[in-house]
Amino acid sequence: MIEVLNLCKTFHDRKKGDVPAVRSISFTCRPGHVFGLIGRNGAGKTTTLRMLATILAPTSGTARIDGMDVNERPGEVRKRIGYLSGDTKLYDRLTARELLSYFGELAGMSPASIAGRIAELQVSFGLGDFLDKRVGKMSTGMKQRLSLARVVLHDPPVLIFDEPTSGLDVLGAREVMRIVQDLKAKGRTIIFSTHIMTEVERICDEIAIIERGSILAQGSVGALQKQNGGGSLEDVFVSTVGAVTSDV
Amino acid sequence: MSKAWAVWRKELRDALRDGRTIIAVFVVPLVLYPGLMLFMGSIQSANEKEEKELQVRVGVFGGAQLPGLEEKMRALQGVSTVSLERIPRPIDAAGVDAVLVILPGLESSIARGDSVKVELLYKDSDHKSSAADERMQPILDEVRRELTVKWARSRGASAEAAPAISVEHRDISSKEETGRFMAALIIPYILVFMVAAGSMQIAIDTTTGEKERSTLETLLATSASRSQIVMGKCMAVITTALMAGAIGIFGLWFNFSVLANLMPALSSQSMQFSIHPLQALFMLVTVLPTAILLGATLVAIGCFARSMREGQTYATYVYMASVFLGLGSFRQLGTPPVQRFMIPILNTALLQREILTNTVQPMHAAITLGMSAAMAAVMLVIATRLFSNESVLFRT
Repeated sequence: MIEVLNLCKTFHDRKKGDVPAVRSISFTCRPGHVFGLIGRNGAGKTTTLRMLATILAPTSGTARIDGMDVNERPGEVRKRIGYLSGDTKLYDRLTARELLSYFGELAGMSPASIAGRIAELQVSFGLGDFLDKRVGKMSTGMKQRLSLARVVLHDPPVLIFDEPTSGLDVLGAREVMRIVQDLKAKGRTIIFSTHIMTEVERICDEIAIIERGSILAQGSVGALQKQNGGGSLEDVFVSTVGAVTSDV
Repeated sequence: MSKAWAVWRKELRDALRDGRTIIAVFVVPLVLYPGLMLFMGSIQSANEKEEKELQVRVGVFGGAQLPGLEEKMRALQGVSTVSLERIPRPIDAAGVDAVLVILPGLESSIARGDSVKVELLYKDSDHKSSAADERMQPILDEVRRELTVKWARSRGASAEAAPAISVEHRDISSKEETGRFMAALIIPYILVFMVAAGSMQIAIDTTTGEKERSTLETLLATSASRSQIVMGKCMAVITTALMAGAIGIFGLWFNFSVLANLMPALSSQSMQFSIHPLQALFMLVTVLPTAILLGATLVAIGCFARSMREGQTYATYVYMASVFLGLGSFRQLGTPPVQRFMIPILNTALLQREILTNTVQPMHAAITLGMSAAMAAVMLVIATRLFSNESVLFRT
């Protein structure tokens, strides 16, 4: 379960002064559901997800991940999440097995449970031939599959995906979407940011359109389409975001 | 702590697969040093050979006052002489490398009991002229002896068959003593130098490198705390630094004691170079806080820097500061004042010299270790704070 309550983040810039990146956003995502955070580049999606992953501290407000407050118990929050960003890379000089073992150790898993879990993931993520190959020699798609295996290695109840299909080809992106749907089916709580509307329509149970750090619209894809008088999700997004940008 | 060890293991594994770390920790001390030593040794041998074969031309002004002098000069290997009517200014205008000047009125000056001066004019700035000066040393001794005999005779003394008197410098140090002296001079500096060089690459790679390669976020989202991550990274840097220091000492020992004895070109540089195991242990203990200090400083710099290039630039300043402080130990003769043991890095080099010469003063050891440990602790705290500060870690 993810509960976000009036979450704010302001960055300080020497020249510009205080720059608000996220302005008092609130939403909830339940287990077995995928919550989509959609917005343009720089809208505040990544900052929000980084706060949920405790990489950044909120300026005000809070979030509870699986019952743990991000401000009060960030360590406990990190134990319960798997975080993947499309920008993040892996360690090129390690093999896939070494990499998974490393993150297993950081998650506090025992060597035996790491070995068992790697064996499971080898099958479910198709890592068979690549397990003892160095990451630097893998294809982009293979690296993304390994990244996903890394995220679910310690079997976290909450998964945070920040544009996980970024830079992938059609087949790679389709593979990622299949894995996310599998995780949803297993009852995981998933928050998913993207600006690819077809992905949102395929997997998200509820979405929030974020622009300039504020949530402009929230609800299921169908409900938002209905509110907008029909049309595609892209139409909903453009009319929602366009209304704000034209106000400025 | 197990998470810090996990970070330590990963960083070491990662670093040991990086060619740059391999070069800094293994190749430089084990290959570059012997290579340089061999090169320097062969240059020195070539120079010595060339020196032996060098022909020098020495002009003599007033040589007739000491009969037989020019013959004796010509008897010297590689020396030819030319009589001069006047003293040439400059000396090379006369086509000679040096000029022996015996001013007129030598006999009468001696008879009167006046002081007499015989000079060899040469240029220390000129290699050939300088070689001429060296070759002429026995002749100058001979001139001194002959003038003394002349003076004795002028005073009515019987000075027939005057004995040859020679006053010489002779180094009676054993190879072991020379080795110990050189070790005390070189090892502390090399150790500081190697520790700084060994920690530089990995410290920047594990911090700024994580930022630049976009792996930092993944790491920060794990359940390891920031302090555990910094601790693991610092431990990896310190391990590499100590490894570089130990290999550096091994490289020196190998060059001076083994390679130099095996290769004729290096034989002139060979010396017995031994470190007692207890001394090695003390040195390791001494270098540990310095390695922590340098490691934590470089990790802090790595956390602060935005790019590898920026990090490496800052790290180079730290490296240069370490090298200069280490060099300070070269200039320190005798017992250093207590205050010097309060200066990080320099204090370690000075204490190590005391260890190698068995002259450790407990006060010096206490100040050095205390000061270095305190500074190292401060730098560790700074590194952890910087790593926990998102405005530093994510600054662009």
